[in-house]
Amino acid sequence: MAEFFGTTVADIFNTMPTRFKPEEARDVDIIIGYECRGDGGGKWKVHIKNGTIQVEEVAGELTGCKMSVHAADAETFIGVTLGKIAAIEVLTSGKLRVVGDPRVLMMLLPKVFVQYTVPAKKSAVAAKDIIATIAERFRPDKAAGVAMKVGYDLTGAGGGQWTIVIQDGKCAVEEGLAKDLTVKMTMPADVYTGMMLGTISGETAFTSGQVKIDGDMMAAGATSRFFSKYVDPSAQAGEAEELITIKVTNAIDCRFATGPVMGMWFKGLKEKKFLANVCPKCGRTQVPPREICAFCRVRCNEWVELGPRGTITAADVVYFASPDPLTGAVRETPYAMTWVLLDNASAQEAFCLDIKKEDLGRMKVGDRVRPVWAEKRTGSFRDVLYFELDQETRGEKR
Amino acid sequence: MKKQSKMQTGTHRKNRNVAIVGVGMTSLSSHKEDQNQPEMIHEAVRAALADANLTLDDVDCIVHGNMELFEMQFQPDMWHVLGSGAYGKDEYRITTGGTVGATMVCAADNLVASGLYDTVLAIGFEKLQEGNTTGGITNMADPLWFRNIQTGALTGTTAGMLIDEFGEERAKKAAMKYRILMDKHAMLNERAHRRFGLEYEQAEDLMKTSPQLVGELRLIHMCSQSDGACAMIFTHEEKARKISGKPVWVRDHITVHREETMSNLYAFEKPEMTHHYAARKLFERNGITDPVAYFDVFEMYDPSSWWGLDWLREFLMLKGDEHIRMLEDGEFDLDGRLPINPSGGVIASNPIGATAMLRPAFAALQIRGDAGGCQIRKPVNHALASGFGGTLWTVLIMLEKDLNWQEANHG
Amino acid sequence: MTTMTCKKEDTANCFVMEGKMALPNQYFAGRLGSKFIIALRDGKKIMGINCPKCRKTFVPPREYCHVCQTKIDENWVELGSEGELVNYAIVRYQGRHLPRKVPYILGQIKLRGADTPLTHIVEGVDFKDVHVGMKLKAVFAEKTTHTLLDLDHFEPA
Repeated sequence: MAEFFGTTVADIFNTMPTRFKPEEARDVDIIIGYECRGDGGGKWKVHIKNGTIQVEEVAGELTGCKMSVHAADAETFIGVTLGKIAAIEVLTSGKLRVVGDPRVLMMLLPKVFVQYTVPAKKSAVAAKDIIATIAERFRPDKAAGVAMKVGYDLTGAGGGQWTIVIQDGKCAVEEGLAKDLTVKMTMPADVYTGMMLGTISGETAFTSGQVKIDGDMMAAGATSRFFSKYVDPSAQAGEAEELITIKVTNAIDCRFATGPVMGMWFKGLKEKKFLANVCPKCGRTQVPPREICAFCRVRCNEWVELGPRGTITAADVVYFASPDPLTGAVRETPYAMTWVLLDNASAQEAFCLDIKKEDLGRMKVGDRVRPVWAEKRTGSFRDVLYFELDQETRGEKR
Repeated sequence: MKKQSKMQTGTHRKNRNVAIVGVGMTSLSSHKEDQNQPEMIHEAVRAALADANLTLDDVDCIVHGNMELFEMQFQPDMWHVLGSGAYGKDEYRITTGGTVGATMVCAADNLVASGLYDTVLAIGFEKLQEGNTTGGITNMADPLWFRNIQTGALTGTTAGMLIDEFGEERAKKAAMKYRILMDKHAMLNERAHRRFGLEYEQAEDLMKTSPQLVGELRLIHMCSQSDGACAMIFTHEEKARKISGKPVWVRDHITVHREETMSNLYAFEKPEMTHHYAARKLFERNGITDPVAYFDVFEMYDPSSWWGLDWLREFLMLKGDEHIRMLEDGEFDLDGRLPINPSGGVIASNPIGATAMLRPAFAALQIRGDAGGCQIRKPVNHALASGFGGTLWTVLIMLEKDLNWQEANHG
Repeated sequence: MTTMTCKKEDTANCFVMEGKMALPNQYFAGRLGSKFIIALRDGKKIMGINCPKCRKTFVPPREYCHVCQTKIDENWVELGSEGELVNYAIVRYQGRHLPRKVPYILGQIKLRGADTPLTHIVEGVDFKDVHVGMKLKAVFAEKTTHTLLDLDHFEPA
């Protein structure tokens, strides 16, 4: 099979079950289709349902998928999966296409899968090779006063049974499982290898039941402390160096004073009114209101009520919504930022709000609209829910 | 100065002339995990110093800028000191949104022209991979009202207006031709970020298949998101003549910010656009009545094909469908009457904090004849470069090959 | 002529809105930064970089010597984990983002072999006993976070 960036498309799908994080997919029921054209490609259907996953290669059409990803070639698909090719670039050039709800790609997939990484080279490290290094990786300073026997029962190909004896600041590895184990950990050998090499998330392996623990749970969790990290010797030669990325979330609480002008605006909203202030020189009605006329630079002290009805002057139908930076939530698309010239507003002063979902498909520039107010208004942005088409006068055009 | 009396009153009078003597930039890409920010800046600084044949000891002031908080780092100039070379020197931190790159050029020009500093190093950068662009943009809107509505900087209303004015087919074709033209220019520019190799035959297909973002604004029309840094060195006439064989003179610049007209763009009656206002004022005070005839290249800040197309009319003081006709007739091509964005523009490369600096930077390289594969074959003597910021900032800069504008009469 | 939109005393319509900004993002340590942190995390070692021209060793490491502008990124030096306290402050104002609960000592430690002090937390000594010149040694973290705090703190040697 064609290889790019050191791996194959098939490997990405073969490793999906081990990279899957069931605890992140509890309330999910979705079928995702994948198509990769050309040499080294194929078609796959991935069905994630309530914490379980099924990956199957298919021959015919990708039917019944909520979302499907289509790559022009294997190189594109592998490159994007590894992050070596920017998704936005191939989406723009068309080498990668998404049919269906793209938010699945953006939000769900990164959540339920451990990031795929190129597997270690052909020198497939066996479990016993790793175990053989245990004694030299032991850190007696960390295990002062500790006495325990930890048993590893590694099943499947490349597996075996070993006991690690920690006592009096010394560590010994014996074959087989001792009778008086403090704790025994049972898992497939390749899961052990994966955890030690970092390609499988240890937490996930434990929580998903791939690793079974009999005995002292605390001891099981403590063992990693006593050993320095395993480093695959073959990985050092020419392998990509590890580059550290530090992820942070900066959260700052803030408080904003409205001042009297915006304060008046919010007071108006509470009373179901759009209050604009008027420039004494040019007569412009500013909505939302401002201290000063934007064009004449003089103070605007007079107020006037606008609308409540208005005429649509422009509408931006948004198909691709950026995630809300405060909540991470992505607004349901499509939605429309609707610009409206409220009645009595001066000609240049359009005002923007959402349009009612049901009216999105049939609204046009020139249509009449009216605001829909929240039942309980507190003097905030949420006091007006949206505009809706004004049925009685909908016949009038500009 | 007698000669200046030929120009309109209210001219900006400089104490001395200023030239660009060094231009440096990093590669522009979306993968810079192997560098941290100070290291990336230093790469551009070294390139600019090498280009000018100067060392940091020759620089007496640094001007540093990007879009504040886009990397979620407040006042990164302090962290960057070891990379910017500002250690032990005077430094100005400038953040004017998307225009910051161009504003830094204006600031550097003012600082040297005033006589306060002799040699100024301006550095613009962005490392969007490390940041949260949406968060940054949303937090520019006022927190009391607009922050709740705004989602990023995308809008499709310009597309809608152009479709209304020129008809759907002609408008869409023009926007797509503009897009492909920008890509063709980018393909010639070794320094550009995104180069797709688009062909005009693909126009129909792209118009239909590219995913819609907002209205008729499709993914294919949108600008890039790049990481990179750009550095430029400015010095006064006496020193420039000594050290550089190809100084590029900063003739004039103007900054216009019309954020107060943002919502007015969507009403039936529209105010004068920031671009038109800026161009009108700048050209008036420099005695330029026919910008298309006067300039040899225009590096315009074009965040999307639709805006690029629309703003050509605004900047170049055109009327009706002149700009579309010029585009259709190939007048904006590399070998046309007035090449637009031979570098590929913002659609091809957009390291935001540096983007507005890249415009005068590429324009300067064109004047010098150092633009590489995208070099205009005809002599480039007069260049125009623009910067744009999301809340309707415009910065317009005029660059000249020779210091002769103070004598000549322009028509 | 009124110069105010309303009188300062007229606060009937003024109020305060609560807001929040919570933005996730990331930093790249870069090649050198990564090597430095990996040495802390896996090797339990503190590494610096030496400028052969200026004969100075910098920690944390940097790509270029800012004094002579020479590229120095190949000259890694393993510094000991012992050093001397050259300066300190006692942090008493609690901020959400601080690595420890206040009060704690933030010190500058000049490691043996380094010419720049490393800023870090000092523990295991009473505030009345901490003094410039005292000898300290590094204590590495058990649970690592791929950050500078993989070196957990310094304590009296």
